[in-house]
Amino acid sequence: MFIRLENVYYTYNLHMPFETKALKNINLDIKKGEFIGLIGHTGCGKTTLIQHFNGLLTPTSGKVYVEEMDISKKGIDLKLIRQKVGLVFQYPENQIFEETIFQEIAFGPKKLGLPKDEIEKRVREALKMVDLDYNLYAERSPFTLSGGEMRRVALASILSIRPKMLILDEPTANLDPQGRNKILSEIKAIHDNFGITVVLVSHNMEKVAEMVDRLLVMNKGEIIMDGPPREIFAKRANDLLKVGLGLPQVTQCMYELKIRGKDLYTGVLNVNEAEKEILNNIKKLNSQLKKYERL
Amino acid sequence: MKILRNISFGQYIPRESLIHNLDPRIKILSCLAIIISLFLLTEFWGYLILGTFVMIGIIISQIHPKFVFKGLRSILFIIMFTLIIHLFMTEGEVLYQLSFLKITKEGLIKGLFISCRLFILILATSLLTLTTSPISLTDGIEKLLSFFKFIGMPAHEIAMMMTIALRFIPTLLEETEKIMKAQISRGADFDTGNIFNRTKNLIPILIPLFVNAFRRADELAIAMEAKCYRGGEGRTHFRQLKIRVIDILTLILTSIITIIASVLF
Repeated sequence: MFIRLENVYYTYNLHMPFETKALKNINLDIKKGEFIGLIGHTGCGKTTLIQHFNGLLTPTSGKVYVEEMDISKKGIDLKLIRQKVGLVFQYPENQIFEETIFQEIAFGPKKLGLPKDEIEKRVREALKMVDLDYNLYAERSPFTLSGGEMRRVALASILSIRPKMLILDEPTANLDPQGRNKILSEIKAIHDNFGITVVLVSHNMEKVAEMVDRLLVMNKGEIIMDGPPREIFAKRANDLLKVGLGLPQVTQCMYELKIRGKDLYTGVLNVNEAEKEILNNIKKLNSQLKKYERL
Repeated sequence: MKILRNISFGQYIPRESLIHNLDPRIKILSCLAIIISLFLLTEFWGYLILGTFVMIGIIISQIHPKFVFKGLRSILFIIMFTLIIHLFMTEGEVLYQLSFLKITKEGLIKGLFISCRLFILILATSLLTLTTSPISLTDGIEKLLSFFKFIGMPAHEIAMMMTIALRFIPTLLEETEKIMKAQISRGADFDTGNIFNRTKNLIPILIPLFVNAFRRADELAIAMEAKCYRGGEGRTHFRQLKIRVIDILTLILTSIITIIASVLF
C-alpha cells in the first residue's frame, strides 16, 4: 500500500468565525502503480485532500500513512515524503521563477544536494519525459514559452525529483485542446513507462475517465464513489448526474438511449466502444425479430 | 503558512449591529477624535475613560472580544519594545539597578503611559476596520477627502487606489500561500538556515508573486478601460451615504467623551 488515509477530517479556520469543514471521514487506499482520477465539483475538497498526501496539510483528526509511515506524527522528515510524492499544483506555470529552463528544472535536484552531473542527467531526463528538446530549450527563459510549454516545464521541474507518485491538480485547465491532449498523453506515458503512481484531479469527466483505472468521486468533502470508471458509469450514472457531475459525452449518449428503453450497457468510455455496443444491440434485436418472424 | 491565516487586524467581520450600521464617515471621524485625544491627554484617568468607551463599542458591535484581542497579538511586540526602551532610557528616581541598567520610576510611568496609548489606539482602529467593510470605508474616506478637493486633493483617485489595494491583499496572501506550497512540494525549505539563507530562499516566492501581480495589474487596467473608467468626474454611487439621527448622536457622544478625556485630564 503506497498511501493510506484513515478517518481523515480536515477543517479550515478551526474555532474561528469562518470555520469550514473541508474533508469528512475520508478512508482511502492507494496502491503502487495505480492510475487514479479524482473527480468532483470546485470546492468539494479535492485540492485539500491531495495536500494531505505529501504532508502540506495535516488532518484535523485521523491518520495519513505514506509507505506505512504515519506522516501526521511530529518529527517526521516531510522533505523525504515530498521527494516520494510529487505534487503539481493547479496552474503550475505560476511558480516559475528561474532565468533559464535548465535552472528551473534543476531547482528540486539542487535542493536534494545532488552532484552537478547527476543534476544535468535529471534535467535531460525530465525534459525528455515532457517531450521538450534539451538543446533547444535548456538555455531559454521560461517566461518566453507558450502556456502549454510553460506547464510542461513546470511538470518537468517536479519529475526531476524522481517522485514515486505524481499528483496533478487540474493539469489541463486553461489549455487549448491541442495542449490538453499533449499533456494528458505525456502523463499517460509517464505512468505506463516509469510505473509512477498517478492521481489526476479534475472536475471534468471527459478524457480522464478513458485514461484511468480507478475513479474517485468526491462531493461536499466526502468520497461518494470509488471504483473502475466502467463500473461507475454502468451502475451509478444516475447518482453522478444527481450530484451534477455529468458523464463523458458518449456515455451520456448511451445513458439517454437506455432511459428511452434501449437495453444498453452504459459503461462505455469512447466512441468505438459505444459503436460496438449499439451494433451488438441492433444485431440482437434483428435476430429476435427473425425468430419472431419464423414463428 | 500559519501566520498568513492568523491576521485578524484589519479584517472585516460582517454582523448586524449598531456600530456596523453607522455611517463610515462618522466612524472614521470618531476614530480620529479618539486618536487625537489619546495624544493630548496627560493623566491615566483619560485612558480609563477612552478605553471604557472603546470597549463598550466592541461589546455593542457583537464581535467576540477574543477575536479583537487576537489581532493585538501581532502588535504586542511593538508595545513591549517601547515599554522596555522607556523603562531603561528615562532619567530619574532609581527603583532597581543591575550594573549599568537601571529602572526608574519616571521610566516605568512613562512606559506604561505610552503602552496604554498604543493599546487603545490599536483597539479603536481595529474596531473601525472590523465593523466597516473595505468598500464603505473607502467610500467614507473619499467623501471626507472631497472637502479638500478645492486645494487639488485627488480624492477619488486616492480612494480608488485604496480600494484596489485593499481588494488585493487577501488575493496576494492566498497566492503567496499557494506559491509557498508549490515550492515546498519541489523541495524548497523556508524554516531552516540563517537569516542570509532564509532571505535567499524567499526568491522562489517573490519572483512568481511579482510576475503575477504585474500581470494582474495589467489585466485590471485593461478591464477598467474596457468598462469606460475615466476617473471620478460625474461618477454616481450605487450605495448612497446618508447621515441619520443615530450617526449625529454618536458623533456628539464621541466629541463629548474625547473632549472630557483630553481637556479635563
